[in-house]
Amino acid sequence: MTREELTRKLTEHLGKALPAMSTAGNMLLVKIKAEDLPTLAGYVFNQLGARLITTVGTDRTPLTGNYEVSYLFSFDRADLFLSLKVEIDPANPVIESVTPVIPGADWAEREVRDLIGVVPKNHPDPRRLVLADDWPEELYPLRKDFPYDYKPPQATVAGPRMKKAPEQATVMTVGPFFPTLEEPAYFRLFVEGERIVGSDYRGFYSHRGIEKLADTVLDYNKITFLAERICGICGFVHSCCYCQAVEAAAEIEVPARAKYIRTIMLELERLHSHLLWLGLAGHIIGFDTVLMQSWRIREQLMWLTEQITGNRKTYGMNLVGGVRRDIPEKLQPKIKEVLAKVESESRQVVEAIAGDTTLLMRLQNVGYLSAADARSFCVVGPTARASGVDIDSRRDHPYAAYPDLQFTVPVYNEGDTWARTLVRLDELFVSIDLVRQALGRLPGGPIMAENTEVPPEREGLAVVEAPRGECCHYVLTGTDRPERWRVRASTYPQLQAAPSMFANQTVADAPIIIGSIDPCFSCTERMETVDVESGKLRVYTREELLKAGRAGCKGGDSRA
Amino acid sequence: MFISKWKEALICLKAGRVTLPYPFVPRPTAEGFRGQPEVDGRRCIGCGECATVCPPRLITLVDDGDSRALKVDYSRCTYCARCADVCPEKAIRLGNNYELATSQKEDLTMTVNLKMANCSLCGKPFAPERLLRKTGEKLTGGEFGQEAPEWLSWCPECRKTKQAKALGGVEAKDHV
Repeated sequence: MTREELTRKLTEHLGKALPAMSTAGNMLLVKIKAEDLPTLAGYVFNQLGARLITTVGTDRTPLTGNYEVSYLFSFDRADLFLSLKVEIDPANPVIESVTPVIPGADWAEREVRDLIGVVPKNHPDPRRLVLADDWPEELYPLRKDFPYDYKPPQATVAGPRMKKAPEQATVMTVGPFFPTLEEPAYFRLFVEGERIVGSDYRGFYSHRGIEKLADTVLDYNKITFLAERICGICGFVHSCCYCQAVEAAAEIEVPARAKYIRTIMLELERLHSHLLWLGLAGHIIGFDTVLMQSWRIREQLMWLTEQITGNRKTYGMNLVGGVRRDIPEKLQPKIKEVLAKVESESRQVVEAIAGDTTLLMRLQNVGYLSAADARSFCVVGPTARASGVDIDSRRDHPYAAYPDLQFTVPVYNEGDTWARTLVRLDELFVSIDLVRQALGRLPGGPIMAENTEVPPEREGLAVVEAPRGECCHYVLTGTDRPERWRVRASTYPQLQAAPSMFANQTVADAPIIIGSIDPCFSCTERMETVDVESGKLRVYTREELLKAGRAGCKGGDSRA
Repeated sequence: MFISKWKEALICLKAGRVTLPYPFVPRPTAEGFRGQPEVDGRRCIGCGECATVCPPRLITLVDDGDSRALKVDYSRCTYCARCADVCPEKAIRLGNNYELATSQKEDLTMTVNLKMANCSLCGKPFAPERLLRKTGEKLTGGEFGQEAPEWLSWCPECRKTKQAKALGGVEAKDHV
């Protein structure tokens, strides 16, 4: 589908001309009336087969007097993005929810409500999502009149707003600290006997408001490093995606060598991330040999990236307009040597575990996600590709050096945890090949664009295929810093599909099902690991904790 | 099943023991490693460029009378090396130290104190002496001739007053 076709179809469906339209790169920006949103969004999603990436809420009151909410869609096969933008009067900040039509819009709409205060009407699950439970009502931190360093008085805690368990079901909690991933996440499983009949999730414990920090304090290049610290595993993805969003908005031409270096780093990061995941998956099901051996293989990559970038993680390579460090000639044989070793050793591990029946029994037919559910929750990455949804940003929205490189996209139709494992194992070898291709064709020239000026009032959207799926950064440029920066990490849609994967599974399989989407909770919540200031610190005594724990048990969370 | 277990056992045996004897034997860092930033107080001219670019904003400049303090709080450092990139005097480099854990937060702070120069007209301290000297060195030999320009020793307020006088003879009363 081309831009023109899409415009024609939207106009035809609406039955009248579109109020305002513009383009930014491969994004079609359409301003529509609030009352037309559900019908148009439903049409784009259901009839035209687009995928909802996320929504962005922006407070534009200083400029236009309105709030804006954009619904960002992707036409994956056409390398086309669509932004349906609705202006909302602050006097009546209500918007008709599209979640009944697009289940994947659930969290995004709740987030806009929490941070900007635009209420989605008829939302099926209008509970708080992002803000802490003791944050006061009617206080919206992403509004422009909210000072970034304001600490509101603590409101009375009503406790996490829990979903009610079905009659006869027992509630089993996993979290609030996830047992194997060492990240805060709180799942409540509703079980009958061993079977899971429903679930509830409360997360965003590590939401630190970095988007607010970006549009009030930092500047374009500082955000690059903040973005990198969103994730301890795929940090380069975030910094690269952010830079690409700004570069798209400002139409900065990045030198070819910088694009290739970014590609090499992205694929090295995918390699270490998939090996890390493989180890964790083994650990979750109690198969620590896999953990030890895949992490042993991974360590060589960490040492390699330390030599290339100066650090084993948080490479600090990106700036708006290019990269900071070159990959010198003398390191290239070293990279090839490590790749060869990682390839042969990974191959041995994959061959060994592929025939391991204990492993297969734990993973096959566990945590099934149908293609239809994957699509309706707008799931991305290996999780989508294991359910037969053939999407990969590297191929569908080519960026960096990917247009020049040849690669296959592994897709499986089984939709279970084993299929998700296979996708990642296959991708290991695709990534190794991609690094080799990129190294072989590494062009000369500068690594930083000459002109990196960013004009105000431009919109840019970039997607990068992170190891766990498509990561998306949106930037609306301002003076010296973005007017709005929105991050949508790849775990954001996957976690919304988790209830569907839990359905009718046993409790014992819950951790590996959660693990199989390769979740990154802090990414999803956009935590900042650097700033350690905290409002209040209270140390509970052992007695207090015991008392609270007992009171909680009696309160009905557990029937024991 | 058994073949798999054999293969897995072989992989483990072949790899053998790979853990390092750290911390008993120090682990070397790679060339170009980004560890704790080392500030050479003798070279620092107090221009503040590092403070401007530092993403976690841990480098701050505090002017107090006739001294300027460049304060570094390592506990917030993300080792991005932007400070080292922009330092015009190469006074900052990222060293090899990565063992920063401590129970005393004060161990992770560092201050460079620089003496301020006084304005030759009004006598108020306004910029570090070293910064002025370096600027003077850069300006001499070019269009300003062999001597550093006279206005270099004037504070910004006095410069404004002088310029206003030169332009229209207006007395700039308020130093804004």
